[in-house]
Amino acid sequence: MLCEKCGKNNATTHIRTIMDGVVREKNLCGYCAANEGYSNIGHNSLAQMLASMFGDALALDRTSASAHCPCCGATFSDIAEKGKVGCAECYKTFYEELLPYVKSVHGSIKHTGRIPNRAPLTVTPQGDSIESLRMRLNMLVSEEKFEEAAVIRDKIKELEGEK
Amino acid sequence: MNCWYTQSAKEDDIVISSRIRLARNLKNIPFPIKMDTNDFQKINETVKNAVKSSNTPYAKNLKFIYMKDVPQNERYAMVERHIISKEFASNCENKAIILSEDESISIMIGEEDHIRLQVLLPGLQIEKAYDIAESIDRLLCDTLDIAFDNRLGFLTECPTNLGTGLRASVMVHLPIIEGSGEIKILADSVNKIGFTVRGMYGEGSKPTASFYQISNQITLGISEKNAIDNLNIITKQIIEKERKNRESINRLKAEDICMRALGTLKYAKILDSSEMMKALSEIKLGLSIGVMDDERIMPIKLLVEGQPFMLMRKFGEMSPDERDVCRATMIREALS
Ligand SMILES: [Zn+2]
Ligand SMILES: [Zn+2]
Repeated sequence: MLCEKCGKNNATTHIRTIMDGVVREKNLCGYCAANEGYSNIGHNSLAQMLASMFGDALALDRTSASAHCPCCGATFSDIAEKGKVGCAECYKTFYEELLPYVKSVHGSIKHTGRIPNRAPLTVTPQGDSIESLRMRLNMLVSEEKFEEAAVIRDKIKELEGEK
Repeated sequence: MNCWYTQSAKEDDIVISSRIRLARNLKNIPFPIKMDTNDFQKINETVKNAVKSSNTPYAKNLKFIYMKDVPQNERYAMVERHIISKEFASNCENKAIILSEDESISIMIGEEDHIRLQVLLPGLQIEKAYDIAESIDRLLCDTLDIAFDNRLGFLTECPTNLGTGLRASVMVHLPIIEGSGEIKILADSVNKIGFTVRGMYGEGSKPTASFYQISNQITLGISEKNAIDNLNIITKQIIEKERKNRESINRLKAEDICMRALGTLKYAKILDSSEMMKALSEIKLGLSIGVMDDERIMPIKLLVEGQPFMLMRKFGEMSPDERDVCRATMIREALS
């Protein structure tokens, strides 16, 4: 499908809009979509960004065509194509592959916000887990949840001992 | 029903509304892109029960609604009231929403993420909106298995929402900054600090009647508090600039524009929505700088109620031409 605005490039951005009571689909190329004020982050940019990172789309297919997420079955090219991740487990399965994209979107790869109380305390070899445990410890102490804090403190000690 | 657009609030000469959105997902169910009907039922029930069984003061006022039970016109009217997204209104099969009576709290279930919690308040109330959102979020996180990773934060279907999953935004009315051609400069400068400027109806909407939305773009590597503080600082600077610029405009000219707009709205027999929005925007400015003084005129309320689906929800199905007549009548009666 060609872009409905310029009629030259392939339409890669499909947007549902409601203008003046009419619902319609807009099919635009990346350039025209950006010109019309549609955000350039999201749906297609992951694919574009990855393609440029890996040289071309074929290279992308070769890098991770074989790996499937054990939970939802998504491959990395599924994710790259849609710009959407299949499930929470995908982030573990394709962590390394996704990291450059995450970094380029947010300029960071490290969560510094709120941590839910039931956050899993699993320690992964790649993760800077002591740091995140410390953050959690600080938060629990500030919330005066000392019993939970003690458990975390022991975990940190254990990890530090391993070093 | 006392919705956001019918109330007056702090700094509402310039800030129309403040909105907080949190994206959350359940750990053991695939994200919506991979979900089947069963999964949708599961998340609908799980989220519904979590909210129901809680004893927060908010829970009592919350109502669970299946979107398929909401008529189409009302669904799109909810988009016009900024309660749900366009996507959610269009693809509503299997989807549900939890909504407070005044619509300030809405929880879309099965949108791009399992849970999209929104708090929407009139005027500049970003912190208050966040406090409400956080208290509901704590309850969800305490009762549900929320997908979270120590490195990437809250896990979301689109990696652009990773981390806090927080989108904080304000809708602002900037006729004078716009008039001096400075919106682009503003957009560029907030862009540099991870914020974006968009039209009234968010992503993809062109600026209408000098209304703009400003929101954070980055969600990973920034805490909720920082994101909110930054938005507050940016908004206050914008308020200051717009107010300062308003001081130096020609008041007689402003009054003339405002009175002409009032004339249009009071006497027009046919009124399309862009003409209505332009006139209401001019009247809003006139009221704010005091060249017009009439407390009964509520431009934002009329602006929302004059949207196409808001009209059809109230007055029934209409063609665009019929709607323009209906809109003119509705506004004329409101101003008489
Ligand atoms: Zn094009
Ligand atoms: Zn997966």
